[in-house]
Amino acid sequence: MTDEVQASAKAASGPRHLAADDVGIVRPRDFTHAGKFTFKSGQEIQGFTLRYETYGTLNATRDNAVLICHALSGDHHCAGWHSETDAKPGWWNNLIGPGKAVDTRRFFVVCANVLGGCQGSTGPSSNDPATGQPYGTKFPFVTIRDMVMAQKLLLDHLGVSELHAVMGGSMGGMTAMLFAIEFPLFTRRQIVLASTSNESAQAIAFNEVGRQAIMQDPAWNNGDYARDGGPRVGLAIARMMAHITYLSDAGMDRKFGRRKRESAGGESYTFDAQFEVESYLRHQGQSFINRFDANSYLYITRAIDQFDPARAYGSLEKAFSHVQAESLVVGFTSDWLFPPEQNREIALALLRSGKRASYAELDTDLGHDSFLLESADLYTLIRGFLERPEAYLVDFAI
Amino acid sequence: MTKQIEKRTVDMTVIGEWVEPQSRILDLGCGRGELMAYLVQAKQVYATGVDLDFTRISACVGRGLSAYQGDMYAFMKAFPDRHFDRIICSRTVHELNDPAGVILEALRAGSRVTVGFVNHGFWKNRVDSLFRGQKVRNAVYTTAWHESRPANPLTIEDFEVFCREKSIRIARRAHLLGDWRTPCPAMPNLLAGYALYDLARD
Repeated sequence: MTDEVQASAKAASGPRHLAADDVGIVRPRDFTHAGKFTFKSGQEIQGFTLRYETYGTLNATRDNAVLICHALSGDHHCAGWHSETDAKPGWWNNLIGPGKAVDTRRFFVVCANVLGGCQGSTGPSSNDPATGQPYGTKFPFVTIRDMVMAQKLLLDHLGVSELHAVMGGSMGGMTAMLFAIEFPLFTRRQIVLASTSNESAQAIAFNEVGRQAIMQDPAWNNGDYARDGGPRVGLAIARMMAHITYLSDAGMDRKFGRRKRESAGGESYTFDAQFEVESYLRHQGQSFINRFDANSYLYITRAIDQFDPARAYGSLEKAFSHVQAESLVVGFTSDWLFPPEQNREIALALLRSGKRASYAELDTDLGHDSFLLESADLYTLIRGFLERPEAYLVDFAI
Repeated sequence: MTKQIEKRTVDMTVIGEWVEPQSRILDLGCGRGELMAYLVQAKQVYATGVDLDFTRISACVGRGLSAYQGDMYAFMKAFPDRHFDRIICSRTVHELNDPAGVILEALRAGSRVTVGFVNHGFWKNRVDSLFRGQKVRNAVYTTAWHESRPANPLTIEDFEVFCREKSIRIARRAHLLGDWRTPCPAMPNLLAGYALYDLARD
C-alpha cells in the first residue's frame, strides 16, 4: 500500500492521539513460538516471533476478537500512535478506534506483522539461530497459509476462542479468506477488500519486475547482505513501480497532473526529477528502503503470486465448501491491480457454495489503495457487517 | 406514503405464501432488503439479493442479509441451472432493459420464478390516461415523466401473452383489486391493480 492515503489523517491540528475516537499511544509486543514450525514447503524453523499490537479488551467469552491482516508492505501497527510526537498513526487508524467502524469499545482488535516480514516478525532478515547470521534466502519459502498458521498460534496464545471477524485488503484479504477456509469453526466473519482469489498474469508480472529489480542489483548478492546494506537501488525501483500499480490514472492525474517541481526551474533538458510525480515516486522509493527488507519483499510477493485456493482445493467452490463465516467482499471501481471482477468472483464462488456472502463496490479514483479510503460509505458498510445481529445459523451447504 | 408502505406489505404477504420454508431465494432488485428480511423471518429462507445501488446493498448488509451489488443478469449467469429454488422479481420487471432475457435467465437459474408488477391495464390507469392525456400517474407511480426512471409499463394481458409466446408455464396467479388485497374475481386486466405470477419451465 502507499503511505499517501493515510497521510491526510494527520492533517488535523492538535494531538491526534488524544482524540476521543483514537486508540491513543500503543505499544507493539512480541509473541514467540518456541516450538518447531513447519512451512507448507516442508521446510522448518525452530520457533519464530510475531510482532503484534492489540486494541480494546478480550471479553469474558473470548469471542470478540477482530483480526486485521495487512497488505504486502504493511505491518502490525494499524491504529494509534507509538509516541506523542509520531508523525503519523497506524495505517488503518481512520477505521479502527473507539466509536469507529471497527469499534475498539466492542472488539478486541489484533494485528500482527506476517511471518516472513521485516517489521519485528521472523523473516529472512532475522538471524538463523544455527549460524547467528541473517537467514537471507535460506529462509523457508513462505506462503499465505504459513502466515495464517503462525497468526493462529498467536491468537491461541492470546486466548481467543473464536474470531468475531477477520479482515484485510489486498494480501490481507487473501489472509482473511484462508483463515475462513482453514479454520471454519473459528472464523465467524470475514471481510475481504480489494483482493483476489488468484492474481492475474499482469499482477504476477508486476511482482516479477519488482523482484528482478532487486535481484539484478549487485548489492543483493544472492540475498546475502548486511542488515544496513543490501540492494537499496533495486528495492527502491521495485517500490516505485509497485506504487504506480496501487494508484489509478485518474487519481495520479488529479494529484500530480503535469505539474513541475518549483526547483526544476525552466531547464527541461536534464534527467533530474522535473515533474512532481517523479520526485514523489523517488521519495516513495527512498523512504521504503529505510523500512523494508529486500528479501522480505521477494518472499512476500512470491507468497502473493502463489496464492490460489482454487488450484489447491480443485475449485474455488471446493475451497469455500467448509467455510462457516459470513462474508463481505468489497471491490473498488478504479482498482486495476485486483479489479472489481476478481472481487466479485470471490463473492460469487462463496454464494455458489451455499454460503452467506455479500459484495459491495465503491466508486473511487484511488486505485488499489482505495481500501484505505476515508469514506463514510465504507465505514457504514463495515460497521453494519460487524455489528449486525446474528443471522440464522443454518448451513444450507451439504 | 403510508399507503405505499401498506401496499408493499400486501405484496410481501402473497409472495410469502408461495415461498417454501427454508428454500434458497434470490431477490432481483432487492432494494434495502424488506422482502428478504420478511421471508427470512417468516419462512427461514436462505436469501440473496441483487441490486445496483451501494447504499441499498449496505442497508441489506447492516440488517444481516446477503446482497450483491451488480447487474442481475450477469449475476444469474454465474450460477448453475436451478441453483435457486425461487427467483423473485417484485416490482422490478418494468424497469429492466431486457425483461424477456432476465425472466428466461431466471427460469434457468431458478426452479420457480415469481414476478409481481403493477397492472397498467387497471381501469383507473386507463381513465387517467384517457382524461388527462398524460403519462399515467397513480398511488405507486407518482412522478411526472421527466422525473421518473425509464419504465416499460405492462399490463396483465401483456404478461399473459408473453408467457404463452415463450412457452412459460404459469403455475399460479394472484390478481388483486385496486386495494392490492382483495382477490380479483373477473376481468383482471381491467379490474386488478396488482398481479403476481409464479412461473416454471417445463
